[in-house]
Amino acid sequence: MLSYSTSSAQNFLYRSGPFVVRLRTPIKGLQPLLRWCYDAAEEPAADAYVHLNLRVDQGPLRRRFLKPQAVFRFENRTPFEPYPQNHAFPLLEWGTNWCIAMRGHRFLMLHAGVLERGGQALILPAMPGSGKTTLTAALAYRGWRFLSDEFALIDGDRGHVHPLPRAAPLKNNAIDVIRALAPAAEIGPVFEKTRKGTVAHLRPPRDALERQHETAAPAWIVFPRYIAGHDLRIGRLSRSMAFTRLSQNSFNYRILGATGFERLATLIRRCACFSAEYGRLDDIAAALEGLPGLHAP
Amino acid sequence: MSLLLQIIADPATVATLSPQQWNVLMQEVRGLRIDARIGLLLEAQGLAGVCPADPWHELRAQRHPPQLVQAQMRLELRKVLKALAGVDTPLLLLKGAAYMLAGLPVAQGRAFTDLDILVPRNRLEAVEAALLGAGWRHQKSDDYDQRYYRRWMHELPPLYHPERGIVIDVHHSILPLTSRVQPDPGLLWADSAALPGSTLRVLSPADMVLHSAAHLFHDGEISGGFGNLLDLHLLLTDFVRDADFRARLPERAAQLQLGRPLYYALSFSQDLCGTRLPDALVAHCRHFAPGPVPGWLMRTLVPPVLGPRHPRHRPAAFAAWLLYLRSHWLRMRPGLLAVHLTRKALRRASAQP
Repeated sequence: MLSYSTSSAQNFLYRSGPFVVRLRTPIKGLQPLLRWCYDAAEEPAADAYVHLNLRVDQGPLRRRFLKPQAVFRFENRTPFEPYPQNHAFPLLEWGTNWCIAMRGHRFLMLHAGVLERGGQALILPAMPGSGKTTLTAALAYRGWRFLSDEFALIDGDRGHVHPLPRAAPLKNNAIDVIRALAPAAEIGPVFEKTRKGTVAHLRPPRDALERQHETAAPAWIVFPRYIAGHDLRIGRLSRSMAFTRLSQNSFNYRILGATGFERLATLIRRCACFSAEYGRLDDIAAALEGLPGLHAP
Repeated sequence: MSLLLQIIADPATVATLSPQQWNVLMQEVRGLRIDARIGLLLEAQGLAGVCPADPWHELRAQRHPPQLVQAQMRLELRKVLKALAGVDTPLLLLKGAAYMLAGLPVAQGRAFTDLDILVPRNRLEAVEAALLGAGWRHQKSDDYDQRYYRRWMHELPPLYHPERGIVIDVHHSILPLTSRVQPDPGLLWADSAALPGSTLRVLSPADMVLHSAAHLFHDGEISGGFGNLLDLHLLLTDFVRDADFRARLPERAAQLQLGRPLYYALSFSQDLCGTRLPDALVAHCRHFAPGPVPGWLMRTLVPPVLGPRHPRHRPAAFAAWLLYLRSHWLRMRPGLLAVHLTRKALRRASAQP
């Protein structure tokens, strides 16, 4: 577990996919983790347009010494209860995702993992706990480029998916699963007893950060479902069913109104849709190699 | 000076902003959650093309949430009308819903959380019974809150429908019954107008401004009310083109006992948002001004809590607290206020674990 020493506030400016983040924090321990996570990304210019002005502050003075706290702030607002200060990094990552979900209405935002190969995107929508992050992380070390473990950002110009390569929070068993499966995976410190259990973050692979400007054309939508010990079962999904499921699995489908309907319909029309139940990551990773129209790398 | 206030007063200067200034402007805009309103205001002035792509994308994208809210409000209103079909009562829309259905420029990109309607006081019980019968529920079931609303307030305890969650405030007056001034609802009804092709009514333009002014400068805490000041700026900018409105406003303010709030509305809207008001109108309202000491206090306290906050400045907490006390002072007699604040404090204390 990390312990954070604190001093006067420091500024960080970094790019996360289409968003530029400016973070101001007096919590010193955040700096090495941010560097470790996002250093490979191109640094924004000093006068770059900032989409998200974030702060992770210390709690009130009386809480500085006994059970110190971390408070997340977005544009002078405090949307959440404080976290224990040694959980400042999970708080920052979670808070950033929340801000993107609230502010990213330029995009149709689906709750999904996204990977790319040959310029084509594979979208893995899923409910929390269905193994989406684990599957996305595993595929990122099997010949796919990691675009996001949380958001499929669909633009309005060409209907492309924009990468949002952020630290992927692996929860509980997933931490050891990914360590065993992908020894090259870089996993950060383990945070015990967060609101989502034990969490450790997978650092986005280097090429994911270096190529975070490169959008991809959606080609496949696969709804994964992890069931322990289950044999692989993968089948085509009708477009109407895929539409219904995706509309319920979006951060802003309702908010976008007619725009959301049209953009989702366009997305579904250009994709082959499947649903997959699996018990072993190896099985589903192999099956995805056989996706129609996928060219071997 | 705040860049946001500069842009509201003189939108064309948006063309001169440096990248760093855009960053500051957008922080002010996001902090006040008025992205959609500012984007539409710039677009209405033909200035969309001079905005850099990044902030423009953001200003435009943030139109979607208020659009959804406005659509939900229209739906809620249809449900309310259906539920009240059997009740013989006129219905008048207030604030956001009125601006939206009257098609006023102030409604552009404006989100709102409650549906505010006005009914005559002797129809209040029938309206409440019909809404409860059609599935609406009381938001506050606590006995003290229920009694507080019914005895002292100008509205029923807030109602909401569990399936949709939108809060409906049914008013019979525009200021609390305990308030030091009591605008006569009969006068408001007499000047109101029916919306074209509808049985719903809205306040006259002068009364809309006076209601908004009373809400911000008499009944409310002022702090955090920038959206309300922007309403006043846009309503006034729209209405002052009409000679009848200009002539009627001061006289109507006197009739409704709302001269002082109107004075504050005009002067702060002018000072902060640069509202262009005819000299004659301002001169006519000068006699509503407070004495030198309260006037100085308001000029000192209000701008820091009402105007946009520079991203790197601390909130004006002390000024906000003084204005909060002022709003309660205007709302209730001192004895009643003491009883109310004691009840609230005791309840907060007993709610602590």
